Amino acid sequence: MKLYRITAMLLNYYYFSINSLDRVFDVLYWPLLDIFIWGFMTYFIQGISEVNILNLILGGLVLWVFIWRASQDLVVYLMESYWSRSTYHLFTTPIKISEFVISLCLLGLIRSVLAFGVMSLLSFGLWRFSIFNFNLLHFALLVAILVLFGWGIGILISSCIFRFGTRIQVLAWSTIWIVQPFSCVFYPLEALPKWAAKIAVILPTTHVFEQLRASMNGLPLDYGSLLYSFVFVIVFLVLAALILVKSIRGAKKAGTFAKPE
Amino acid sequence: MNTLMAKELVKTFPVKGGRMTAVDRVSFNIKKGEIFGLLGVNGAGKSTTINILSGLIIPDSGEVEIFNKNFFKNQEEIKSKFNLATAYYTLSTNLTVRQNLKVYAKLYGVKNAEEKIEALTKKFMVNQLFDIQVRALSSGEKTKVVLVKALLNDPKLLFLDECTVGLDPDMAEVTRELLEEYNRETGCSILFTSHYMQEVERLCDRIAFMDRGRIVKIGQASSLIKELEMQEVKLHFSRDLKQAQRILKREGIEFKQESAQALSFQIKNRKNTIYPLLEKFVKARVVFDDLHLNKPTLEEYFIKRSRRKE
Repeated sequence: MKLYRITAMLLNYYYFSINSLDRVFDVLYWPLLDIFIWGFMTYFIQGISEVNILNLILGGLVLWVFIWRASQDLVVYLMESYWSRSTYHLFTTPIKISEFVISLCLLGLIRSVLAFGVMSLLSFGLWRFSIFNFNLLHFALLVAILVLFGWGIGILISSCIFRFGTRIQVLAWSTIWIVQPFSCVFYPLEALPKWAAKIAVILPTTHVFEQLRASMNGLPLDYGSLLYSFVFVIVFLVLAALILVKSIRGAKKAGTFAKPE
Repeated sequence: MNTLMAKELVKTFPVKGGRMTAVDRVSFNIKKGEIFGLLGVNGAGKSTTINILSGLIIPDSGEVEIFNKNFFKNQEEIKSKFNLATAYYTLSTNLTVRQNLKVYAKLYGVKNAEEKIEALTKKFMVNQLFDIQVRALSSGEKTKVVLVKALLNDPKLLFLDECTVGLDPDMAEVTRELLEEYNRETGCSILFTSHYMQEVERLCDRIAFMDRGRIVKIGQASSLIKELEMQEVKLHFSRDLKQAQRILKREGIEFKQESAQALSFQIKNRKNTIYPLLEKFVKARVVFDDLHLNKPTLEEYFIKRSRRKE
């Protein structure tokens, strides 16, 4: 693995971002919109409720951005390579698929941190909510699990795009939102109906947001739950990577890289 | 010494009701410093072959050795020493010329990238397009930028797939000269495909002719042309056209009257076949004031070979 090839790809994404305003815009626009809508709503509910709902909602919202951007940006920038017809020349260079995917993962992380920064600043400025009031170690652990899971989902969708092309691009935007209702981002696990709870309890994201709420209420973290989530995301990432390798081999057999989209 | 050796390459693609063979037991080698042409009609399998050799397509079977190493097992090392240019795929359309070239220079780990980009863009006359997004360039300009990219890493092997398509005649000539110069100075081997036969005839040391996925002939342009049976002769007579017609009839040569004083006919494409005939004209006092011998070209070979049903 060569670091200069990973930085070359990051330079590519940087140029791409500064040349297309919409890619800069979506790091700012959606977090901004989320903070306003959810913030106003929770501010209203806060007035008629005894529960500290502001912390619950904004905490979930600010942390969700990590999995959201980590998974979506990975796929969107991969598709941009297809749309800009650059995959042909790119895959004749010595770049390895692992370097290509790592560059996309790092990009997702950078954009997550940027979006998180915007959301944190806004939520503090508007609602005096600071995610940094919580235990920073807890926070870092939860973020790590979310980012790893986000990468796993992103890699899995990328595998489908490598194999079937951008005609299945709808998955890039929709998959993460299928995971969200089962992840208990804004409500506790008990709030879900039984059938949904059975799905939710498998997902590492549910455990992360449950632990976030526990941490916000001053309770100790359930390390068993976190260990489960961590092992889950690592196994998921390895599986996603294996599927990716298989998909790329399939794409090369089908000649997908050599066909204009 | 061989730079590239392809052995028994086979590639099929699924189609309705079966599989279509795009590349069928293709074998050839390219020597160090050689410019090797791959000719054939559209769909003959040239681009699929290049895509296999550049690692974009995995063949069903066959072996590829580049720089004396198994290509499929040493792709990272080998790919850093070759490059590719095609008129059909541009660089990233959302990036400017400068941004694209910087990214590719970094991907190939090029030292002194800035100077290299500067020098190559000057050679290909695209330095004035530096800050324009690739999507805004004309097709010829896009091709020139791809050619610059192809030379960034000082490749020892170049795949050029119809890389002069879309270039104006002047720029196409400049490109040919630059490629000849690069080949001469560096000893780089080149796999070259083009539909411009004069270009192939001029540049290529050897040519492989592909038809329906197979290589049907490999040789120098001159030896391929020699395979053509007939060449055309045009004669302009100052007088006595009828006498010439009588001689041609006697010799069993079919002719066409081009004008009141001109005839054209085909004779065998062999050395000295025209002289005995001309001697007969002289002996019969047939006076002609112009003789035009149309030597067969690679283009004629291409057309004849392409139309042949095997």
